[in-house]
Amino acid sequence: MDDHQPRAPYGRRRRDREMQSRPDSPRSSRQYRGESYYGRPAIRPSHWGWMIAGYYFVGGLSGGAQVIVTVADLVDPIGNRAIVRAGRYLSLAGLLASTPLLIADLHTPKRFANMLRIVRPTSPMSMGTWTLSIFSLAAGLTAFAQLLDDTTDTPAATTIARICSIPAALSGLMMASYTGALTATTSVPLWASLSHILPTLFGLASSASAIAAITLVIEAGDEPEAAAKLEPLALLIGAAEVVTHAMIIKTWQQKGVTGAITTTHLNPAHKVGMVGLGALLPTAIHLLHNLSGRRSRETAISAAVATLVGIFIERVVIIFGGNESARRPTDYLQFTQPEAAKGSQE
Amino acid sequence: MSIERYPTAIPPRALDYPTGTLPGLLPNEAELTAGVTIIPGRTYGFFTDTSLCIGCKACEVACKEWNALPADNLGLTGDSYDNTAALSATTWRHVAFVEQISTAAGDRVTAMTPYQSNWLMMSDICKHCERAACLEVCPTGALFYTEFGTVVVQQDICNGCGYCVPACPFGVIGLSHADGKAHKCTLCYDRLKGGLEPACAKACPTDSIQFGELHELHTRASQRLATLQERGVPNASLYGAPGTPGTTGGIGPLHAFFLLLDRPERYGLPVAPTLPTTRTRDSLLIGFVTLVSVAAGAFAVFRGQKNHG
Repeated sequence: MDDHQPRAPYGRRRRDREMQSRPDSPRSSRQYRGESYYGRPAIRPSHWGWMIAGYYFVGGLSGGAQVIVTVADLVDPIGNRAIVRAGRYLSLAGLLASTPLLIADLHTPKRFANMLRIVRPTSPMSMGTWTLSIFSLAAGLTAFAQLLDDTTDTPAATTIARICSIPAALSGLMMASYTGALTATTSVPLWASLSHILPTLFGLASSASAIAAITLVIEAGDEPEAAAKLEPLALLIGAAEVVTHAMIIKTWQQKGVTGAITTTHLNPAHKVGMVGLGALLPTAIHLLHNLSGRRSRETAISAAVATLVGIFIERVVIIFGGNESARRPTDYLQFTQPEAAKGSQE
Repeated sequence: MSIERYPTAIPPRALDYPTGTLPGLLPNEAELTAGVTIIPGRTYGFFTDTSLCIGCKACEVACKEWNALPADNLGLTGDSYDNTAALSATTWRHVAFVEQISTAAGDRVTAMTPYQSNWLMMSDICKHCERAACLEVCPTGALFYTEFGTVVVQQDICNGCGYCVPACPFGVIGLSHADGKAHKCTLCYDRLKGGLEPACAKACPTDSIQFGELHELHTRASQRLATLQERGVPNASLYGAPGTPGTTGGIGPLHAFFLLLDRPERYGLPVAPTLPTTRTRDSLLIGFVTLVSVAAGAFAVFRGQKNHG
């Protein structure tokens, strides 16, 4: 059986029956009044779900980690060695999880290699596939060189790791953010309205989750005091995330597409999980740490865990929210009105 | 065949086959059935004139039969005569029905309007956009523009990533869970290669679905629009012809375009859709700049920590 379109709830359909009055010219200046074809969706939702949310999370974390620890390694390789080591291994773990998740999500997984048939600059998925391939190779080699450095006395290992980390970080810049461009380069109103913001949100989220994961790894390791070095950066990124969340909510309200989130079960997940746990709470804790100069291990770990949970919820809310948005014909048909006819929303 | 189409009532080639039985597949059969010579390299498409549609669904049946698509949507939807509901991976022609039974004030209409008598009937199909979103986001290159100006999915390359599905501004292409690939109307690419017109156009008894070269269809459509407006159908309009709704935002003319009798939204069609991939470059760049800023912030922080011990 194929993916038959789900039907709209009864209330919406009754209003559409009432709307079936005399025909109207599209050139008439009257504003769009919410007509649709029996309340049926005008576009199709994606099939993306938990697996893709999982990939966004681990792939972004992997890319963000590589960027941050490469900078740390270049600036102060001795002082930042715990951060660099944790980041490189986390990056490896993330990329090892990424490709299987993506392959499993394909509907014909045995043809996963067809992703590498072409390079298509108009397709964020094509650019992302090549990014993932290059990143996997470079970050994998970096982690392998790091392992050599940690387990053997090979003097060249440090240098090899550093050399490999440059392309890893450069491709990591895209790994951490391209999924935002990919999601926004669709016709789904909740996503398409964020073409210029979602890549920023995902990039910051990837970086924040990387820092949080590195913090947890270091706190559990033999140099826990090194985790404190990440506090200022965590605060900067957290603050930027809070601003980005505000911009996103404002954009959704302006475009009249918030319904997919605010009228569904995703609303608490968005407010409490995505914004609260993912950005507000950790940023408040990092602010406290940075202002007071004191850092308690418990609150630092809480901030890191909240960040990871909140950012995973963020990926889920964006994906499932978008799928819900695609099922709302009035959202899409309003979103695709010509500029002149667009009035005030919500 | 409508008289508007040919200067004489009988297409010339019909006289070559005066008997009921035929010797086999006719070469260039489209010349006979549609008055179109199919030449690779020219742009072909559909003009669907909904003022002629009688809602018989011969197009749906012909499409299913020719493409060996599975039967689906076997129940009743309760939406007038539309039991197909939508385009999907296994439904490539979908006839939409809207019964306009009340005035704006809520009373029943008492007059039958010229053309369609208060019905909207429209055979929906893949629009075969000039710049197709599905094609531009496809990472495997499965989707391509054919030598006839249409958009086709190569079934031996598609790996079912499903990115084309939310990208399509008209909700056309779908993923089949049965075979794991994306499917949509091919504009009967296989028939075009054999010189036959597409199955739905051939089956349509009223020539509501007209197949031909795109520029010729545009001319015919403008003339038809003018004629209809003269005959008392002021709300008739084109959708997907150059400069009309549906061609906005970088999509360009739709090679399968329509003459509609009401606002596009009533048929579930967007008035001013956009091509999502016009935003790709800026989106990717903004993501890149975000991470460069993160790296710059990290540099400043780590440097400060190193200098102050």
